[in-house]
Amino acid sequence: MYMKTYKIVLSFAVMATLTAASCKKYYESVPVEQVTPDYIWDTQDSVGGLANNYLTTIYTYLPLGFNRITTDFLDAASDDAISSQSGNTDITTMAHGGITVFTNPDNTWANDYAGIRKATIFLNNFHLVPMKNIYERNARLGEARALRAFFYWELVRRWGGVPLLGDDVKGLTDNIELPRRSFESCIDYIVSECDKAKDSLRTDPVDDNNLGRWTRAGAMALKAQVLLFAASPLYNGGNTGDSLNGYASYDPNRWQLAAAAAKDVMNLNIYKLDSPLNQIFIETKSPEIIFMKTQSTGKTVELANGPINFSAGPAAGYTSPTQELVDAFPMSNGKPITDPASGYDENNPYTNRDPRLTATIFCNGAPWLGGVVETFDGGLSRPGGSVVQTRTSYYMRKFLGQYETGSSFQNIVHDWSYYRYAEVLLNYAEAQNEFAGPDASVYSAVESIRQRAGLDPYTLDPGLTADSMRTIIRNERRIELAFEEHRYWDIRRWKIAGSVYNKPLHGMEIIKNAIGTFTYAVQPVFTTSFDNAKMYFYPIPYTEMVSNNKMRQNPGW
Amino acid sequence: MKKRFLLYCVVTLACWSTSYAQKQTVTGTVKDASGPLMSASVIEKDIPDNGVVAGENGRFTITLRGTSRTLEIRSVGHVPQVIKLKPAQTSIDVTLQLNDAGMDQVVVVGYGTKKRITNTGAVSSISADVVRNIPTSSVQNTLQGKLPGFFSVQRGGQPGKDASDFFIRGVSSLNPDGNKPLIIVDDIEYTYEQLSQINVNEIESISILKDASTTAIYGIKGANGVLIVKTRRGGNGKPKVNARVEGGMMSPTKKPKFLDAFQTASLVNEALNNDGLQPRFTQQDLDLYKNHQDPYGHPDVDWYDIVLKNYSLQANTNVDISGGTDNVKYFISAGAFTQNGNLHNFQDPRNQGIDNQYFYHRYNFRSNLDIQASKSLKVRLDVTGRFGQINQPIFYSYFEPQSSGIMQEIYDFHIITPYAAPVLNPNGSYAYAYGPNLTNLPTINARLATMGYNRNSRTDFNVLTGITEKMDYITQGLSFEARIAYATASDITRIMQREADPPSYHYNPADGSYSLDKNGNYSLKQFDLHSGNQIYNKRVNLQAFLNYDRTFGDHHFYSIALFSQDSYTAKDSFSYALQVPAKFQGFTAKIGYDYKKKYLLDFNMARNGSDRFQSDHRFGFFPAVGIGWNMAEEDFFKNLFPVFQLFKLRGSYGIVGSDAVPDNRYLYQQFYNRSLSQYAFGESPSPITPIYEGSLANLAVTWEKARKKDIGLDINMLKDRLSITIDWFNDFRYDQLFYPGHIPTIIGVGFARENLASVRNHGWDGQVRYQDRIGKVGYDVTAVFSFAKNKIVYEDEATPAYPWLAQTGHPIGQPFGYTCIGFYTDADDIAKSPKPQVDPSIIKPGDLKYKDLNGDGVINEKDMGAIGKPNLPNTSLGLTLGLHYKGFDLSVLFQGAFNYSFSIQGIGIEPFQSQMQPIHELRWTPDNLDAKFPRLTSNASGISSPTVFPSTFWLIDAHYIRMKTVEIGYQFPQKALPFRINNARLYFSGYNLLTWTNYSLYQQDPEVSTNSAGDAYLNQRVMNLGLQIGF
Repeated sequence: MYMKTYKIVLSFAVMATLTAASCKKYYESVPVEQVTPDYIWDTQDSVGGLANNYLTTIYTYLPLGFNRITTDFLDAASDDAISSQSGNTDITTMAHGGITVFTNPDNTWANDYAGIRKATIFLNNFHLVPMKNIYERNARLGEARALRAFFYWELVRRWGGVPLLGDDVKGLTDNIELPRRSFESCIDYIVSECDKAKDSLRTDPVDDNNLGRWTRAGAMALKAQVLLFAASPLYNGGNTGDSLNGYASYDPNRWQLAAAAAKDVMNLNIYKLDSPLNQIFIETKSPEIIFMKTQSTGKTVELANGPINFSAGPAAGYTSPTQELVDAFPMSNGKPITDPASGYDENNPYTNRDPRLTATIFCNGAPWLGGVVETFDGGLSRPGGSVVQTRTSYYMRKFLGQYETGSSFQNIVHDWSYYRYAEVLLNYAEAQNEFAGPDASVYSAVESIRQRAGLDPYTLDPGLTADSMRTIIRNERRIELAFEEHRYWDIRRWKIAGSVYNKPLHGMEIIKNAIGTFTYAVQPVFTTSFDNAKMYFYPIPYTEMVSNNKMRQNPGW
Repeated sequence: MKKRFLLYCVVTLACWSTSYAQKQTVTGTVKDASGPLMSASVIEKDIPDNGVVAGENGRFTITLRGTSRTLEIRSVGHVPQVIKLKPAQTSIDVTLQLNDAGMDQVVVVGYGTKKRITNTGAVSSISADVVRNIPTSSVQNTLQGKLPGFFSVQRGGQPGKDASDFFIRGVSSLNPDGNKPLIIVDDIEYTYEQLSQINVNEIESISILKDASTTAIYGIKGANGVLIVKTRRGGNGKPKVNARVEGGMMSPTKKPKFLDAFQTASLVNEALNNDGLQPRFTQQDLDLYKNHQDPYGHPDVDWYDIVLKNYSLQANTNVDISGGTDNVKYFISAGAFTQNGNLHNFQDPRNQGIDNQYFYHRYNFRSNLDIQASKSLKVRLDVTGRFGQINQPIFYSYFEPQSSGIMQEIYDFHIITPYAAPVLNPNGSYAYAYGPNLTNLPTINARLATMGYNRNSRTDFNVLTGITEKMDYITQGLSFEARIAYATASDITRIMQREADPPSYHYNPADGSYSLDKNGNYSLKQFDLHSGNQIYNKRVNLQAFLNYDRTFGDHHFYSIALFSQDSYTAKDSFSYALQVPAKFQGFTAKIGYDYKKKYLLDFNMARNGSDRFQSDHRFGFFPAVGIGWNMAEEDFFKNLFPVFQLFKLRGSYGIVGSDAVPDNRYLYQQFYNRSLSQYAFGESPSPITPIYEGSLANLAVTWEKARKKDIGLDINMLKDRLSITIDWFNDFRYDQLFYPGHIPTIIGVGFARENLASVRNHGWDGQVRYQDRIGKVGYDVTAVFSFAKNKIVYEDEATPAYPWLAQTGHPIGQPFGYTCIGFYTDADDIAKSPKPQVDPSIIKPGDLKYKDLNGDGVINEKDMGAIGKPNLPNTSLGLTLGLHYKGFDLSVLFQGAFNYSFSIQGIGIEPFQSQMQPIHELRWTPDNLDAKFPRLTSNASGISSPTVFPSTFWLIDAHYIRMKTVEIGYQFPQKALPFRINNARLYFSGYNLLTWTNYSLYQQDPEVSTNSAGDAYLNQRVMNLGLQIGF
């Protein structure tokens, strides 16, 4: 009797044990389908396969300038444009000086340091991978180094001196509370890293397969930009007096270093100005673009910024360029519109202008998608009411595909360019003009840009003073590089933000008359605000201040 | 049956003839609400040794020997009844009332049962028959206000998705997954979804375990309390069939009102005017909206009324059969439940056969078998299956596959407005929401009529098989038990939708023209079949334990030693493959002793672990002790206070754990992740998948622990008529998983949660119950109260710049925001007051003015302090009133929740996001300074917006009281029943019948959560009629 039940109990127990054991038998104890570092730094891999995937990751941390501040271009927080969206959008927060330790729509701090860490891990571990192709191997190390320098530069131009981690990769138990380093040490570090990276990077022009990766010229262009900033009034001497935010005293040689760095890029004789201007932003490969963020094809830029109410291409029209920017474009004869001899007609303001105006901005009457952009009151793209529409009667044209006669938007390339040859020329012209005055090389650099733009004549008046040349270069920079995230930083490094902001920005009110003519009236549309005492630098984010006892806040915040 | 009845008559007549004889024989039956009571005892009052036990069908026969002619009828778990027989009365039918609080009441605890008299832990328990007729699909919805220490909120009422969130003794963990109670059904762990699908008809009892001594045997999973469900099993006797059919009518607890086209248009104009913009509507427009002369050019549609019905139906059918012999006992039940949704039927002929209504269908079956295989061996086999189907309409087209709720569609001002479109155009074609700032989608009815559905089919299947071997041959009282349980669930979604929205037109009455919507779909596109997220999971659980329970004279020992192992496998939502199973293993022991049921002592301990932690420190030890002293058994106490039947002081102390690890189960491992998006280089781009370093591992990760103290008092007095249970508890929850706040982001990588937070949670809960009868009217009153208050003692928070920014010291879920100090009265006031740093032109009189806490002259995040209370109520009260008279019975539960904050934002209330509501008419205007709403603005991110500037203005210190459930029943007298029916009851039951709350202005159900306000499917009030018959 009991034997029987024992058997049942026993078989139950055996069954149970088997069930218990089976859990262990058929599955791993942890998921093994995840990638671990051993696979990336594979000591058997002679082509560096996964290491390349890892390196690619670091590129994803590069900022993509199109409508980067939520829905707006960064330059919509400068005097070049405003957001079409009324209300408390991120970009208006910035334009109103609403950045705080908590709120900063352009807070790239965490992103940049994440990129830095990943680049350092690559630099520290890539030697484990026995790549056969030494050129390629060095190039990859150079890419990681250039990326790291780029992220530091992103930090420094926003906050001034920041903590430098060098080749350290911190763990949770390490001392992570690092102090900020001086502006000078940061610049020195970035420049030396650019130099190091340059020597191991791919030579230019890069082969088609590696388009979009850092090249020597890219590292050199970064260095040229960094040195130009370092020589600029905001940092070069005096200022806040804090070594975190600039040099202690003015040194004209910094301009020379900047000019030389730009000249180095020019001396490569590889990159050149390309035309037409608009084409360079929508093609995969342009001889003008030195370094860019590659993107898969799409139409997001058109959808976000194109003029509204075109049924062939419905767009949101987020960006409203200002009258100030429009007025900065000269006439096609090269004379500014304020020059009585320029031939500017207030009643016909968009004719005979610098061709770059049409290429950069949609003005009333511009052709688009087989129709015409109407931004007069009640026009197709400025219908009134509360739908998002231009507030200035202008829409941004730059970067958009060439759909003047198109029937709809197509998926096209929209790479974001960080460095292009035109900027290098302007960097050179500015630095050289500051250091040596307007010599022939300065003239030549500026004129080549005006020539490509299609100005006739493109030459400048001979015998300009350094001051007049500075004014011309700054204006040229503004219109040539509009919306490419230059103006926002330029007005800061020139220390003119205080006077550029704090006053109304304007738009055009266009009334269509009965006979089909238009009446133009410039109207104030938006007032920006800027506190000279502190806003040249961003505040260190709140979380960073409270979690790091060694962190020091920028002056005024 | 007929024969027997005749026999009775004969016997009765015979008895009558000898009515004054000394030895009179009395026959009768004993039953309770659920049927005949076998083994009830019937005792003659003055001759205590003259007693009989009721047999089959509750029938008894007793011969009276004394003179009192009084019988006392007792049955375990029931209120004893004393009945004086009338002269000549020889037959009697007695209906006993259930006693939920008697001394012998049995409560189910982990791996066993306890009696109220000897229990040392904090347990609340109800018998399922008190909630069986509550017309709701989810069992957890029925427990609110019934169980002390049980907190729940029902966030929405969509058929099949209306299960309440619940917590035992509130919340005490900052870990988002760390507050979910463990759910145990027949000793097997269930998930929330599984629980909500159980048919209440299958349930015998529900208990919640609250303190350390009762939860310690669950060790690493016990810290959040445990909800235990025990299903019904068969007893000895002939087959007993029970059938229950009920049908109910549901309607929303709160029907929101929206303003009509004229009112809305006027307010829109006012808002635009406030913003310095051109008005949208001319006076002529307004007039036409008001006089309805132009129903197509100037429509005025109440979309709520168009789309939603005032009521919908539900039906529930259950049949069970139970019974058994000495060898086999069985309980078999089947149920079907249907709940319909509240949409009007808009079926387009081209949608024929497509059912896109909301509905929930569920079919349950259960078969619980107990087989006495030999004298000592018992075998058990439980099989249960649940098949559920949840259907909901698809609103958006293929290209925008968001799934939105019906209330969101109606509330959202971008989707529809009262004047956006007529219901149908004059030629019968569909209209679309026409006008600026609208998404220009076809009207809701057009999409409901033509679009498809999202149908979710879930199958649950559980098998539990076990053996119990009585090992009295080794030593008296020893037994061995083993179980294997297998549970599997699969959940597949079928999405039927059209490739695009239906064609819709704007009709212009001025010229009679029709213009197609912007999508330009001239034709109705065809259907497209998709699958949604598919869930599959299975659980294998193995338990083996030794039980020892023996009484030596006055000494009672009992103990359990248990081994348990669990493996849970789920499907990965990315790779669609099965994940590595989550494993759990442990040993548990319990040793208890009591002396004369007077001095009680038990030790509980568990050593168990789970694979969420590093292999070398996976196992934790969780001990607890419980003691009790039943003073009512002491002689001095009996003499002093004879009124008490039970006066028991008890206390427990112990440590239990929680292994809930949110998101990634393997915090101790660092992975390199593959990015979902690719990056390409090259002129002809070849995409590369980025691989990046995942969050830093936390090698030291360990379980959360709760140190729980509980002191309780159990009292029964006035002959068990009054029973009281009160518990005080103080829990300290530490080692909670929390993101470290002290690590600067310059580290450049995310990091895992660490055991870096602690919370104290303390409070009171209890129950007072009084039951008695006045003449033939029996009544009972039960008050249940629960209060739990928590406070963050420590979390790894960087020292904030100002003390009011700190979360430490506040309860979990504390809202933070601005302190509103009224409205800006005029431009001068704006100029001289501190302001948020926004475009100054958007700050206008009538906007909310906030307190500048740090006095720096600007309003920014530094001024956001703690405001109000968490959204989860910290006090819950329930009051049940019961009455019964002859065959009638009535039970009403009032339930209330107090001490919580509610606010609303976005499409629930903000103008130009929400439809205009009555509250918008109470806006600030220069003539209405004491307003309930700030000035109207079209600016979604203005400074008065509750989304952008959350403030005290929007917070309501909320409470509500509900007539939660009502049940009125009538038990037909057995004599009146035809055929073989021996039990029949007709009942009406209601759910959420009445609500009193202090935020009717927001037009929300009080249980809706702060964040989902405005888009939740409305909670439902149900009125239900049912018939139960047994034979």
